Amino acid sequence: MEVSTLTTFVFWVASAMTLGLAVIVVTQRDVFRAAIALAGSFLGVGILYFVLNAEFVGVVQILVYVGAISVLMAFAVMFIQDVASGSRPSEGRLFAVVVSVLLFSAFAFTTYNSNWSSMDEITNPVALHALTDGYVELGTGDDISILKNRSPDLDGVVVENGGVLVDSTGAIGVMLIREYMLAFEIIGLLLVATLIGGLLLMRDRASENEPENGDAPA
Amino acid sequence: MIIENVLLVSAALFAIGAYGVISRRSLVTVIMSLELMFNGVVIAAVAFSRFTPSAALISTNPLTSEAIRSSLTGHTFAIFVTAVAAGEAALAFALVFAMYRAVESVEITDASDMKN
Repeated sequence: MEVSTLTTFVFWVASAMTLGLAVIVVTQRDVFRAAIALAGSFLGVGILYFVLNAEFVGVVQILVYVGAISVLMAFAVMFIQDVASGSRPSEGRLFAVVVSVLLFSAFAFTTYNSNWSSMDEITNPVALHALTDGYVELGTGDDISILKNRSPDLDGVVVENGGVLVDSTGAIGVMLIREYMLAFEIIGLLLVATLIGGLLLMRDRASENEPENGDAPA
Repeated sequence: MIIENVLLVSAALFAIGAYGVISRRSLVTVIMSLELMFNGVVIAAVAFSRFTPSAALISTNPLTSEAIRSSLTGHTFAIFVTAVAAGEAALAFALVFAMYRAVESVEITDASDMKN
């Protein structure tokens, strides 16, 4: 099987997995089963990222979503007894169907009626060769190395629709501390604020008012 | 695999998430659906990064590593959205627990103490 055919096959399988499990998440009454389906759906999205040549984003997806957020969901389901009795649908079910169908058709209409810029627009011959026919590795400086047919398995394979094939992990690292330094710092600040906010919300106020045992004379 | 197909999957995931947010009553499922919507958006960002060249890539001659890096803006965007979504999920569950302690319920219809 050719690599591009295999990629398309994996893409459709991962899409079906993601969307099917997502439907289970929003329709399942048993919240714990919904949480399990959600983890599977996140995994499907992770596979989609790998298919789209975004290895780093895929790994982050699996670490953060499949690893951390799913566990958080499972903990929430186990802590809250109320949830065990099931998640009831609200009255606005028909409204929800209408809204989501409208949203989807609007997105689909825009998608198929837009003129997406494609790799054909690249006029620079070096860039075209690098991005559609080879695999680009970026150094931390200005050095670029274009590896044509980086592995024997990919020999002679023309990438379908000529996508960007760049060594993304290193490039993202460089980008985070160069172009997006400020945003990176702000995200760090935001996460610290979230941590403190979460701790404040979860603090047990009842035990705070009791006198501490250590310094109270018996 | 063309960009239209990927965007269609992303739109479908977003719409399914939106259905869940509107139609479910339990806050826990609402947050799960919110995460699905986040994922739909990030898929779109990565798809754009993969299939559409950045302006710098089209016009820069000779090719610089800055120009190539700019084609990965979508990936960086995805990382930032993921970080924000993780923080949001943690804080949202803290709020759900706080509400559960206060009113012994996690249903949205019971979160109306501030009304009137």
